[in-house]
Amino acid sequence: MKKIIYLSILTALSLVSCKKFLDQQPDDRTELNSAVKVAEVLASAYPHGNYIPFTEAMSDNADDKNTTSRDNKNSLPWQYKDQEVNGDEIDTPPFYWNECYRAISAANAALETIANASNPQEYSASKGEALVARAYAHFMLVTLFSKSYNPATASSDPGIPYVTKLEKSVDSKYERGTIAFVYEQIEKDLIEGIPLIQDNTYKVPKYHFTTVAAHAFAARFYLFKRDYQKVIDHSELTFPGSSIVNSLREWNTTYTNSTYYVLQAQYTNSIEPANLLLAEANTVWGRSYAGYNYGLNTNLLFSVMGSANPLGYALVMQSNIYGSGPEVYNIPKFVEHFVKESISANFGDPYNMIPLLTAEEVLFNRAEAFARLGNNAAALININAYLSKRIEAYSPVSDVLTQEMVTDYYEGQSVTDAVISTILNFKRGEYMHEGLRWFDVVRLKIPIVHKSFDNKVTITLGPDDPRRVIQIPKESITLGLAPNPR
Amino acid sequence: MEKNYKKNIRRLKYTFIGVFFCALFCVSLVNAESIQRSGFRAERLDSYLRKIELAYQVSFVYDATQINKAMSIEAPLKLVSINSDLEPLRSKGISYNIVGKQVILKKAIKAVAAKDITVKGRVRSTKDSQPIPGVSIREKGVANGTSTGVDGEYQITVKEGATLVYSAIGYKTVEMVVNGRTAIDVSIEDDVSQLKEVTISTGYQVLNKKLFTGAATTLKGSDVKQDGIVDVSRMLEGRAAGVSVSNVSGTFGSAPKIRIRGATSITGENKPLWVVDGVILEDIVNISNEQLSTGDASTLIGSSVAGINSDDIESFQILKDASATAQYGARAMNGVIVITTKKGRVGKPVISYTGNFSTYLKPSYDNFNIMNSNDQMSVYSELERKGWFNHATTSRASDGGVFTKMYQLINTYDQTSGNFGLANTPAARSTYLQRYAQTNTDWFDILFKNSLLQEHSVSISSGTDKSQLYISTSYLNDNGWAQGNSVERYTANVNATFQLSNSVTASILTTGAIRDQKAPGTVGRVSNPVEGRYSRDFDINPFSYALNTSRTMTAFNEDGSRESFTRNFAPFNILNELDNNTLDLSLLDFKLQGGLGIKITKDLKYDLLGSLRYVKSGQEHKVRENANMAMAYRANGDSYIQENNRFLYRNPDDPEAQPVVVLPYGGFYNTTDDFLKTYMVRNSLEYNKTFNEDHIVNVYGTQEMRIANRQVRNMIGYGFQYDKGGIPFVDPNIVKQAVESNLNYYGMQNKYDRFAAFMMRGAYSYKGKYSFNATGRYDGSNKLGRSNTARWLPTWNVSGAWNVDTENFMQNQNVVSRLTLRGTYGLTASLGSASNSSLVLRNGSALRPYLSEVESVMNIISLENSDLTWEKQYETNIGLDVGFLSDRLTLTVDAYKRNGFDLISPIRTSGIGGQYIKDANYADMKSKGLEVTIGGDIMKSKDWSWKTNFNFGYNENKVTNLKGVPTIFDLVGSDGAAREGFPYRGLYSLVLTGLNAQTGIPEFINQEGETSNDVYLQSDKTEFLKYEGPIDPKLTGGFYNTVRFKAFTFSALFTFSAGNKIRLNPIFANSYSDLDATPNEFKNRWSLPGDELVTNIPSIVDRASSNDLSGTYPYNNYNYSTARVADGGFIRLKQVSLSYSLTPTMLKRIGVNNASLSVVGNNFWLIYSDKKLYGQDPEFFSSGGVALPIPRQYTLSLKIGI
Repeated sequence: MKKIIYLSILTALSLVSCKKFLDQQPDDRTELNSAVKVAEVLASAYPHGNYIPFTEAMSDNADDKNTTSRDNKNSLPWQYKDQEVNGDEIDTPPFYWNECYRAISAANAALETIANASNPQEYSASKGEALVARAYAHFMLVTLFSKSYNPATASSDPGIPYVTKLEKSVDSKYERGTIAFVYEQIEKDLIEGIPLIQDNTYKVPKYHFTTVAAHAFAARFYLFKRDYQKVIDHSELTFPGSSIVNSLREWNTTYTNSTYYVLQAQYTNSIEPANLLLAEANTVWGRSYAGYNYGLNTNLLFSVMGSANPLGYALVMQSNIYGSGPEVYNIPKFVEHFVKESISANFGDPYNMIPLLTAEEVLFNRAEAFARLGNNAAALININAYLSKRIEAYSPVSDVLTQEMVTDYYEGQSVTDAVISTILNFKRGEYMHEGLRWFDVVRLKIPIVHKSFDNKVTITLGPDDPRRVIQIPKESITLGLAPNPR
Repeated sequence: MEKNYKKNIRRLKYTFIGVFFCALFCVSLVNAESIQRSGFRAERLDSYLRKIELAYQVSFVYDATQINKAMSIEAPLKLVSINSDLEPLRSKGISYNIVGKQVILKKAIKAVAAKDITVKGRVRSTKDSQPIPGVSIREKGVANGTSTGVDGEYQITVKEGATLVYSAIGYKTVEMVVNGRTAIDVSIEDDVSQLKEVTISTGYQVLNKKLFTGAATTLKGSDVKQDGIVDVSRMLEGRAAGVSVSNVSGTFGSAPKIRIRGATSITGENKPLWVVDGVILEDIVNISNEQLSTGDASTLIGSSVAGINSDDIESFQILKDASATAQYGARAMNGVIVITTKKGRVGKPVISYTGNFSTYLKPSYDNFNIMNSNDQMSVYSELERKGWFNHATTSRASDGGVFTKMYQLINTYDQTSGNFGLANTPAARSTYLQRYAQTNTDWFDILFKNSLLQEHSVSISSGTDKSQLYISTSYLNDNGWAQGNSVERYTANVNATFQLSNSVTASILTTGAIRDQKAPGTVGRVSNPVEGRYSRDFDINPFSYALNTSRTMTAFNEDGSRESFTRNFAPFNILNELDNNTLDLSLLDFKLQGGLGIKITKDLKYDLLGSLRYVKSGQEHKVRENANMAMAYRANGDSYIQENNRFLYRNPDDPEAQPVVVLPYGGFYNTTDDFLKTYMVRNSLEYNKTFNEDHIVNVYGTQEMRIANRQVRNMIGYGFQYDKGGIPFVDPNIVKQAVESNLNYYGMQNKYDRFAAFMMRGAYSYKGKYSFNATGRYDGSNKLGRSNTARWLPTWNVSGAWNVDTENFMQNQNVVSRLTLRGTYGLTASLGSASNSSLVLRNGSALRPYLSEVESVMNIISLENSDLTWEKQYETNIGLDVGFLSDRLTLTVDAYKRNGFDLISPIRTSGIGGQYIKDANYADMKSKGLEVTIGGDIMKSKDWSWKTNFNFGYNENKVTNLKGVPTIFDLVGSDGAAREGFPYRGLYSLVLTGLNAQTGIPEFINQEGETSNDVYLQSDKTEFLKYEGPIDPKLTGGFYNTVRFKAFTFSALFTFSAGNKIRLNPIFANSYSDLDATPNEFKNRWSLPGDELVTNIPSIVDRASSNDLSGTYPYNNYNYSTARVADGGFIRLKQVSLSYSLTPTMLKRIGVNNASLSVVGNNFWLIYSDKKLYGQDPEFFSSGGVALPIPRQYTLSLKIGI
């Protein structure tokens, strides 16, 4: 009997010790429990998907080259057809959607740890990065998958789910909310986050939201929100006064003198001062964009990259277009980083480094904001600063763009409109192959006509065409989110 | 003679009993009348007797020849009572007996000191007079015993008057009084009633079968042992209903695909649990049933049972239903196989030797559908005509055969002689090609040999009542059937049991195995979702090489030296490669196990079991400097090769530079080491009591803890110079290249498995008629991740049995000797593949091109799934056991239904949470099945016996809930895919409508339901696919017969399987190279319009038209079409054997107890399989790497017992 008592005591003891026994993690997984680790998880709080393949194809920077290759990832967006593919198909909207939300979950994981930490001050820089990164991903989602911000209808237009909590169960429910709500949240995160950022905490600053990158993003955000004074404020915080000139790409000197591979390597390198924020993206864009059927063709070579601007002559980029023929015209901007499956495998995942925010964009945004606020002179100063790096053998005396030249070229437009048109014109060429044109197309409701090479097919995208809003992924629709109208 | 013998014994027995009672009586009388005596004096016996006659009015009767009346006795002075007065006679050796008025005197038998004598004899069966081995012989009342040898003979040293007890399971116990004899032959009778007392070992408990109510199959190790088959798991093939064994690879160490009652999980391992001597056998690396066919090097250490010497196995218990497996609770969903190893036997030491000598037969082209070199060359000619082998591209091909070589020779200019390697004239080219067209290389002959496998095993069994010992050791050597393969294995096993006191027993078990194996060097198989194929670089598996390499190519030049062709821009010769690119595997497996049993009371028993196992395995992949893999890193002949050789390094910091060689010297020395350390402790209490002979109660409670730590580490050694004294030469750029590509040149990973369980089982039986059983178990595991809710799971089951044969109404017949009805219902579970009950994070390096930009990044591998739980199923089992005619014919039928739920399956989410594909417990699967086993002793006599066993299992499953939407590509692959409403792994095909009348290009019904040569495989519109059938057989079984005539035994095992479909090898492509070996079907290919009416073999497309196909893959689709499916059913004569046992007289002459010689043919004859397979093994998918098919094998087996 005594033995039984001992045994039952032993059993009871073992039950208690079981908890500790079973607390052992099953593998080498790590835990988010220190400031260093929180900083590391934030390195994955940036979308590792690429929006360029579909935004470029949908924009007016893509024309039919009449080649035989018809890749769906290039041709469906050009035709404004929804890509109802699985979310693991790279270079498609569903993949980008998933990548943005994945980045958001990393930010939320960091924020959750920070909120529960006993020493939150140690985490403050990370908190800043997490909030801004979360705002960025949501902003990109709302811009692509919802209508463009319109103060009149924003409080009723459906937005995208703004996620602030880490998902704990498989059947979590989400709601789209309104665009106004999403913008409110982005602004809130942005305002809270920017002051906390400390650039010196980053090991590779160009892949993180530094103060400069955060302000550059804020400038883009307020441009969409049509809060132009704030665009100027944040642009000034990014690059005070004329200092931005030193950060622009040296197209008319180093760039144009570089060979193909060197130029390609330089464009997305972190040592390039113009690159404010880079992110690695799983994409085949870098190896495919030259050969895609819908892209830079002879027509665009002369219009967008050519002399069709108030200057009357082409910028230096035109002479750096490579390719043996129109089928493969390209400006070398992306170098592929191929992550092989194993040491001697012949396949793996291709990555490109995508410049998410650049100095030129800050300049264009500031110029547009000045123009919108009626300060056309300031706008022109910015444009000329840009041109100082884009005109071959630039002369600060003879190569000045004047208000007169602008109004002459855009005959019939007000000065402000003409200045803005000029800005958009240069911006369009600057971001050839980079997909940013689409963001201006949706923001300003710029109409687009896509014509097939033989002119038999014409696709017109009017200012209020519902196809400007990319359809949300099929799984989200299945799980209860309202689809965008078609 | 025998009768007399029995009479004698009986007489003797009565005498003994008489004396015994008499002595007892007398003693009690003395006790009753102890009185004081005043004095004695010496008196003559006859006068004293007369005095008593007068005093008590009695008369004496005695034999005067025995009793001397004149003797003098010490007579009392005064008479007190007749009994006490007669007492003095006793001291003179005279006993008395008072019967009425008469007193009978007898000379008492003198108790003499008993002498030790040696008794010899033989025990035979009454039924057929055959000697019975293993009969236990004990001296009654004394701790002394032995057992009979294989020939039924025994020898024991006992007291002269001892009684011997002969007992054996299945026989009635017999007692014999020795009575001084030195030779006692005994015949013992079968005991049918005792057969039912057979016990079932669940690994936890050894239960009386009356109390066992589950579905289980017991197989005796000696019955199922297949001489020459070294992996014990393969011995189960065709032996137990419901157990399917598919030999996806025959390479030593790689486990067969074993399923008990089909699959239970959609994503899990679906492997049964192996339990050896009560302890779960953990695998060093967890390899799921699906992974088994990959051919990766890790599959060689995937089977822990490969370290078990098959001669050490006493029995297998295959536990199938919820009741049988209940004690394994949450790990038992896939069934349990319990192995019990041999223990020492009481008796003098028995030494046994088994020697197996096997030879494997080379495969031959007769079994494969591959073109000979002449036909192959005519296919190449067509390819050449159609523009595929043009000079410019073919001469620079990274991989090429005879045409590439021809153009290379044409391009080679020898400056000294001024000649080209080959003149570029039609005549010279034709002569060159002629040689290869006629060569008809037999790759099987070159790459395989009729090898010898030898296996030697010695065991010694010995023991007394107090301690038993079993020691065995074995050695196995396989010098390799395929070139580059060989194995050596040593095992040792010591099993000791001690009876420390009446209530305490202890046991110690130590096993060890050492393995050294060689295999062709291989790198892991990787699935390539882009091309929809699996690929493996530098694959040199001899079997897949022989199968896939054109017979126009040659291994030797005309001068006998090894001939090379181009692979990876470098010279390649398969024999050279097998010499220079090798995988050496070593494995050490050591287990220490101890047990302690204490009888607390008569009915309550405490058991402690502890076990420690340590396994260490190392793989060395040696790529020597002359291997193609090393040379490929150095191939930089011209700028074209420099641009296109993917093994060269392009420095991202110098974008203009040409790629450069980063392995200037040496090869690779890559190592992978796996470790496993497991501990297990179990405490259990068992209460076993029978109340009033009618109520048998057994209550069992246990508590268990298990730890398994696994570690794997790997290292890539760059630039190891094998032929320069083993010095590495490392170009820093090769490390830089690896780091820049985010590939780590070394790594280490740990896995920690913690398991705790509490279990209670109660069994009750009323008069052995009705049995009832209930089990509850509570399991805890850390495998799901750190979460307090997910980690615990209770499982339970109830079952009952009705032994109908014990009922009164069954007593008046003798047809049915045994009839039991069983029923089970319960919940079982298993751990799924997911471990994310809490957030899973893992670090990696950022995927960026420049080292200055790379930083350590933490990635969310998986979000928390707070609802994560175990995979579970409810199972209902109804069973019937019948024995006819004293169990000469037995029948077991089991029918079951399983409802699996909470099965883990990947589910596509909205992605908004941050993880697009999540593992969740939501899928449901239903399965049902029937298992039948018929066994019979058809004939049983002294000279003849014939035993037969026929069994089959039928299983059908259906996924009833699966939210994932598979794409066409997911469904058409050869591994099948799960789809709601269909089996767990179904095979689907694109419907081939025919060949295009103009081009001979195949056309299909595409995703939109239209006829087209273009099918978008990524589409999830799968309704136009044809469901072909499951990839797992529905029906599997075996038919085993053994016939004995005198000393000869002949046996044959047939196995069969049916109901599954196989996807034929993907051999069609938009274009072919001069390396491809094409099947004979190509002879019937479409070549002219009109052919489409008579053939569905597509044409070879010409180069110009192939450009029109760009973006569509009709030939690839053809591989996935209805035309490329075969039936997987087969009937096979798995094994035949003929053995001869030496007769006792011959044995005596050579001085051994037993000896036998057998000739065995394994994998003997594939009797039936689908014609479309052209004789190819339907179980083996050519998967490359280290996988090899099961060869046909002949074995000579020698067994000797001393």
